[in-house]
Amino acid sequence: MTEDILYSIRNLTVEYRTRAGSVQAVDNVSLDIRRGEILGLVGESGCGKSTLGKALMRLHTGPARITNGELWFDGRDLMTLSDREMPDVRGAEIGMVFQDPMTSLNPVQKILDHLTETIHTHEPETSAAAARTRAEELVERLGIRRERLNEYPHQMSGGMRQRVMISLALALRAKLVIADEPTTSLDVIVEAKFLDLLRELQKEFGLTILLITHNIGVVAEVADRVAVMYAARMVEVGDVRDVFADPKHPYTQGLLRSVPNIKLDGGELYKMDGAPPSLLHPPKGCRFHPRCPFAMGICSVEEPSLDAVENDHLASCWLYRDVAVKQEARNG
Amino acid sequence: MSPIAIIALIIGIPSLLLLAYVFVRGSTGLRRYILTRIVLTLPMIFILATMVFFILRILPGDPVSSALGPKGTPEMIQSIRTQLGLNDPLIVQYGRFLWSMVTLRFGNSLVGGHRPIVDEMSERFPATLELIVPASILALLVGVYGGALAAAKRKRALDFSLRIYSVVIYSLPIFWFGLVLQLFFGVRLRWLPISGRIDAVIGTSLKTITNIYSLDALLTGNWPAFFSVLQHLILPTLTLGLILSGVFVRMTRINVIETMQADYIAAARARGIRERVLIYGHALKNAMIPVITLIGLQVAILLAGAVLTETVFSWPGMGSYLVERISARDYTAVQSVITVFAMLVALISLAVDVIYSLVDPRVRY
Amino acid sequence: MAKTKERPSEALPEGATWEVELKRIGFVRRILTARHWYGADWWFVTISTVAVVVFIIIALFPGLFAPYSPDALVGPSFLAPGASVDLPVLIVPQSSTVNKLQDLAVPESADRPTVAVEQGLPTAGALNEESQKIDEVIKNQPGGLRLRPIIDRYASLEETLQAVVDGKDKAAVVQTTEFNKVKAQFPTLREAAPVSGTAATAGGFLMGTNDIGQDVFSRLLWGTRIALIIGFSSSIISLLLGVPLGLLAGFAGGTFDRLLSLLMDSLYAFPGLILAIAITAVLGPSMFNIIVAISVLYIPTYYRIVRGQTLSVKEEVYIEAARSIGARQLEILRRYIFPNVIPSVAIIFSVNVADAILTGAGLSFLGLGLPPTLADWGIDVARGQRFIQTAWWMITFPGLAIMLVVLAFTLMGEGLMEIFNPKLRER
Ligand SMILES: Nc1ncnc2c1ncn2[C@@H]1O[C@H](COP(=O)(O)OP(=O)(O)OP(=O)(O)O)[C@@H](O)[C@H]1O
Ligand SMILES: [Mg+2]
Repeated sequence: MTEDILYSIRNLTVEYRTRAGSVQAVDNVSLDIRRGEILGLVGESGCGKSTLGKALMRLHTGPARITNGELWFDGRDLMTLSDREMPDVRGAEIGMVFQDPMTSLNPVQKILDHLTETIHTHEPETSAAAARTRAEELVERLGIRRERLNEYPHQMSGGMRQRVMISLALALRAKLVIADEPTTSLDVIVEAKFLDLLRELQKEFGLTILLITHNIGVVAEVADRVAVMYAARMVEVGDVRDVFADPKHPYTQGLLRSVPNIKLDGGELYKMDGAPPSLLHPPKGCRFHPRCPFAMGICSVEEPSLDAVENDHLASCWLYRDVAVKQEARNG
Repeated sequence: MSPIAIIALIIGIPSLLLLAYVFVRGSTGLRRYILTRIVLTLPMIFILATMVFFILRILPGDPVSSALGPKGTPEMIQSIRTQLGLNDPLIVQYGRFLWSMVTLRFGNSLVGGHRPIVDEMSERFPATLELIVPASILALLVGVYGGALAAAKRKRALDFSLRIYSVVIYSLPIFWFGLVLQLFFGVRLRWLPISGRIDAVIGTSLKTITNIYSLDALLTGNWPAFFSVLQHLILPTLTLGLILSGVFVRMTRINVIETMQADYIAAARARGIRERVLIYGHALKNAMIPVITLIGLQVAILLAGAVLTETVFSWPGMGSYLVERISARDYTAVQSVITVFAMLVALISLAVDVIYSLVDPRVRY
Repeated sequence: MAKTKERPSEALPEGATWEVELKRIGFVRRILTARHWYGADWWFVTISTVAVVVFIIIALFPGLFAPYSPDALVGPSFLAPGASVDLPVLIVPQSSTVNKLQDLAVPESADRPTVAVEQGLPTAGALNEESQKIDEVIKNQPGGLRLRPIIDRYASLEETLQAVVDGKDKAAVVQTTEFNKVKAQFPTLREAAPVSGTAATAGGFLMGTNDIGQDVFSRLLWGTRIALIIGFSSSIISLLLGVPLGLLAGFAGGTFDRLLSLLMDSLYAFPGLILAIAITAVLGPSMFNIIVAISVLYIPTYYRIVRGQTLSVKEEVYIEAARSIGARQLEILRRYIFPNVIPSVAIIFSVNVADAILTGAGLSFLGLGLPPTLADWGIDVARGQRFIQTAWWMITFPGLAIMLVVLAFTLMGEGLMEIFNPKLRER
């Protein structure tokens, strides 16, 4: 079954230039986001999830640079747009919800002004009254009383602010919403409510959501598909049920076993050995091989590509390549 | 009504109205904040004044004998000392000094016509005000705009030039900068006068009300006087204002750059808001909040600069009064002027804090 | 302290990577990397350091570089920079056989030659010096000739020359340009060789001369010494007082800290120059008093930064110290606080020297710090102010010198701040 693909990332590499050398925080990553799905992106802290999320909107400034790749969004390559054209896409077609709602709203701007400013930026012809009405309707749909629009961010609770962030992403009916750890700073009850809301919105508006998180539980709860990242590489992509039921990559296996509330073998809590590698000096070959319980000779030499292991289930691991392929890779 | 009283009204009434407004509209938190701030201002004035008092008393040197010079006989010195209360115990003198501060009656000057110091200051103070207000405005305009511009063009030629500007301006001796402006615009080009507040001839036609000449000229509709005052104001204002602007360029630039790294700027960028709006709208507004508090600290540069600027331009303000009285060894006047400067510092920093609380919604509510 | 505890496998917060990496690489490597990372700042530091060193060398040995002594009256007053000196020239009757000053020499027994000069000009000085020099030479030569001219002074140029025409004097010494102006009136006179005393030998002064004929350039070089003495000694005194006070307040905390901080904050907020004016006014003008006054002003600068850093380090250390064997206070001071505080203190010191020089110049400009004849930049600018209409160079050059020295120290401090202390950076 071929799905309708909204965003197709091809060979994306994002580099940070640091004082100690340059770091590829996203290294040659390809990923498809299908229209109308919730795709969960998981991985350890520092593996490059946020970097990937920002790169989808070409949001990087300062030390970061997209050094390679194509970003096919809704039929066009965003990499070919100029810096002047990019802002038209941001907010209007792709929205973003950041990790920390406490710091993601301008402290000296009223909530209402956040919304109307966004609307006016993309639709300058909208009247002030119309923009206001739209803002009010939107936030009420998200469960915020319209009077609260006149408040400043610091007067609201964390959950409330995160809803404001969502409303900002939805203000212009963005097709894709990138939510970067939207619930990390919320408590469990607020988090659950927020995730329900996300689900509802996705159905109601036909949204596509890229949900970045390091919380596997969250992915299990709301996502349709899941992508697993390790040390700047994509290691496994597939349907949530497939991946959780039968994780292919040893890293994914370890990741799932180390999560307490997912029943796999019913075994005791597992702790993966070792630490993620420094991205400044990543290991040769498969980046997971120093920690991998199944590491083979080839793993430290050659990097496996991300290929289909089963139907619609991709993994990048030598375990699933036949010997011939391995041999060929070793020689050539 | 004396000029100083009029000025007090001009500044005082709006400030009081503003305070009243803040109190009525603001939250309890804000009310408490401002009250605390007002209460905290008092010890600061007190400490500074005390410092001045003791510096002048404890350090060696006798004001009266040096004021009288060689012609003062010991009897004369003694009688004047008694008359001025300098023979009383230190603690009594200190008490009297504090009381004079509270009542703003500083006694008579030791030299010249022995006029009340308050009267002399009420001629000088408006002149200083007329200089430092436009200079601060100029400094802020240049500083904030320059700083934002530098931040916007970060690491490019303009940013580099503005950084050089701020360091070089900071390294200029203000008195020398004033003299160089005089040399160029006054002596070489002959465009602008190089000393005084108003043309001597035109000055006779000006009826003074507040002693702020530009204001008086406006109030009485005396246009020739007004233009003469403006002409005289240009060079001193440029001197003081530009020197001060260097610090502001620097502070604004740094704060805007820092603010540009904030999450909410990234979030706003992700909403498609253009870079220009991000810098001049969002970041600058937020950056101004810390900058405002830093402005409070620049009062020191402003006033020290005013003393030198006034001396260079023969500007009859508080600064040149201080220098004159020091040469004349009029310690009563010196002590009073420095105390007034201390009050000025404290009041300006209070004002800055109140403004701060109004600008930052996190304090406001 | 125990070894650094094992860190759990968490990644660094965003953007923190390089700072940690920076800590790992050594001190020297850091300077070298700095060159790569802070192109402009690195060059600022290099150039300004060189400038600072040059200024220090000049301050140590001004005599090596200055052509004249700062107090010597070496030329005519108000001579513009580079303008050549108007040479005094010997004027003799057309008929005279005299061609140079030496020709006026006579045997010891004879009447001494009389020479006319105009009153109040440096010509007389030049004549005197030159005659003495010639005398030194000829008195040891055979022939017994001596040159000890009697100098007749006249009120004006015309009278001076008339005296030669009338034969009252053998010759006259006048300025060349002056003579050229009135040449036509005295057809019987002619120009002989120039008379060059020290005053006249100089073929122009690099930065001109001041109102009493001192060399501006020499005074400027000598002024470096005073500026640097004031800058360094007052900064050192403030440092020696401010740092311990800051440590003390940061460590002790409580009421002591609060009181001291209130005092320091008041001092910090108050316009330094005004306070220094008050102090020097009471103490009286002297170099020492200026240094005392200025050093009082800058104590709070050190106090604040040291106290702040002490507080934050203390917090960090105490949390760890609770776990490890109780580290003693001194140990904490040596291992944690000093390494953190020293770089910032060094940077502040550099900026502080600049500030102190600026304040010192301000004081002496106001005529409040130093004896008015001293070769000091502030004093020289103040002196130039009186002649602003005629002698721009008297103001311009000493002021420029102040600016350059201050700039060198400021840039050095700021550049170092940028490179070494990411926390102080951009503040
Ligand atoms: N501004 C920066 N400068 C230099 N390196 C950076 C910067 N931001 C991130 N990095 C590096 O890039 C890598 C990926 O960072 P990223 O923020 O994308 O990770 P993440 O997966 O989102 O982690 P987290 O779960 O903590 O949010 C990290 O190793 C980090 O060290
Ligand atoms: Mg992240």
